[in-house]
Amino acid sequence: MSVAWIGSQPVSLMDAIQNAAKLLASSRCPVFTLDTDVHGTRSAIALIERLGGAYDHALGDVLAKEVTLFTDHGGMFTTPGEARRRSSLIILVGDIPAAHHDMLLSWAGTQPDLGDRGKRTWFHIHGEMNAAAKLARQLKAVSLGAEGLSLGGALAVLRAQLQDRQVARSLGGIEQFRKALAKSQFPVFVFSGTSGDAPGLAMLQGLIADLNRKGRASSVFLPADDDAWGTALTSLWMTGFPTRTGFSNSLPSYDPVRWDVQRMIRDKEADLHVWVSSRGGETPPRGGTAAVISLSRTEAPASGAAVTIAVGKPGVDHDGVAYSSRIGTFRALAATAPSPLPSVANIVRQLANSLPGRKALPC
Amino acid sequence: MKALTFSLLAEPEERLDLSGLTPAALAGLTALQIAKLRIGTGRNPVLAGDILKITGKDADSLVVEGSSSRLDKVGSRMIGGSIRVTGNVGNQAGREMSGGSLIIEGGAGDHAGSGMSGGRIEIKGNAGDNIGGPLAGEIVGMEGGVLIVNGKAGNYAGDRLRRGVIAILKGCGDYAGYRMIAGTIVVKGRVGAMPGYLMKRGSLLFDRRPENLVPTFMPCGEPDIAFSDLFDRFLVDEKILARPLLGQKPGRYGGDNAVSGKGEILFRRGR
Repeated sequence: MSVAWIGSQPVSLMDAIQNAAKLLASSRCPVFTLDTDVHGTRSAIALIERLGGAYDHALGDVLAKEVTLFTDHGGMFTTPGEARRRSSLIILVGDIPAAHHDMLLSWAGTQPDLGDRGKRTWFHIHGEMNAAAKLARQLKAVSLGAEGLSLGGALAVLRAQLQDRQVARSLGGIEQFRKALAKSQFPVFVFSGTSGDAPGLAMLQGLIADLNRKGRASSVFLPADDDAWGTALTSLWMTGFPTRTGFSNSLPSYDPVRWDVQRMIRDKEADLHVWVSSRGGETPPRGGTAAVISLSRTEAPASGAAVTIAVGKPGVDHDGVAYSSRIGTFRALAATAPSPLPSVANIVRQLANSLPGRKALPC
Repeated sequence: MKALTFSLLAEPEERLDLSGLTPAALAGLTALQIAKLRIGTGRNPVLAGDILKITGKDADSLVVEGSSSRLDKVGSRMIGGSIRVTGNVGNQAGREMSGGSLIIEGGAGDHAGSGMSGGRIEIKGNAGDNIGGPLAGEIVGMEGGVLIVNGKAGNYAGDRLRRGVIAILKGCGDYAGYRMIAGTIVVKGRVGAMPGYLMKRGSLLFDRRPENLVPTFMPCGEPDIAFSDLFDRFLVDEKILARPLLGQKPGRYGGDNAVSGKGEILFRRGR
């Protein structure tokens, strides 16, 4: 079975590496789309630094929205484990990604055993009813909202009403919520980057800060995609910045507009796109004039790619490390079906060794 | 003496950082020294002389002839003198400007006037998102000066504004005056959703009753206050508007009550 292609022709892995290295060395503006585990991300960022390129995640738009809360506002956060054990009042905020529903439903069958001891009650603050409505019904959550009001509007009204300030419209369920707040020692708001837009999430964190003047409250952030959030954290660890970082003048700079890789390809600022995806089944987006190098979990050459190299999936083909929102940190992944497919980090190291200068990567 | 003029020879392949081309930075430099300034931001960055034809000598009055959305940071950190651009510019025009005059005869990208503290920027065309607002990770927006957009502005106009005036003459996107703590934003034309969201203090002045207000703004009647007259006069005297914006006894909303509630939206009644 072939693992490397130049265009649509199967070639040896070494030939593909040499060809890809030539493209990287001659590129005016190489950009990378990353979607892999910690080792792959670290080695890719080290290579990008050497090349003076820029990188983003495959889910760059959603991830940028999540990152905005942290870069532009900040907040108070706790882990799912703390929320499960300490909180008798959980408030779902807007739409929660389906990947987290099982975890939240598992909380419904438990009671807090530290701090709060009472039966757990659920509320759901929302704008127009959405996909989270089903989850809220399953959890028997009390609805906090008003017809025609967006989530951002509902959060603003809730924050004002909890400070006994005047509002033009009231929320349904607000009196029940006040009573629940008075009983709870540690209310926790559960939200995601897909829950609402950035101002609404900033309002939520302001509301939590208000509650902390008289007691304790916090929030659990559940990313839209765990792997994407892991990439953002790895990027922070490597450069001090999340994804959408570029190495202009050899120093990292973060700019979510300038280093939006899809925009750079669309606007023809980039002339080489390196697509790194060990997720499986993902293909580089079409369009633009940039040449494409694809490192992906595939059995066939990527359509339109100058070079395609097949890589394994962490946790399936080889061991890996990935972020888990359930524990709020990184966890080791043991290979479930080990295969000879190389890891992203392995291929990236070979690419670095094939570049002029032949200097090995630090990671 | 003829204005120091930079004529764009071709559309640049990479984004250009023009923050080094300000009257103060170029004072005393020869044409040869200016041509060797690095303005490219790519892997093999271009020099000013590679992409710009340089003529004229008066560094206090700069002209950029050409139009490209890749011309970033035009007039950034400018402290005096004047810059006139004959076409469009990219992001962060007039960023952290503290004095002088920047006239852009085309449109501007995102973050025009970001963090400016003085001087005057006039954009004849449209502007992108976050005009006057801080960049990611910064906590202070525009702190002074006047920023005029003759066309439309995008979302988040005047984010974290704390002093100065922003005037937008053909409407703006959502969240105008987001997180503002003082200063004034004038909008003629349609305003998007949620103006004044998380606004602590300051004034939003509109030529019509705002639609899509967040319910934490409350109507406060039609106060007979001197401020509207004074500000109308300022806008006409500064040639920002030809006619008064608010007129007598404008309508007023107070908010955002989710935060301190000391901000205001004043609007012309009857529209």
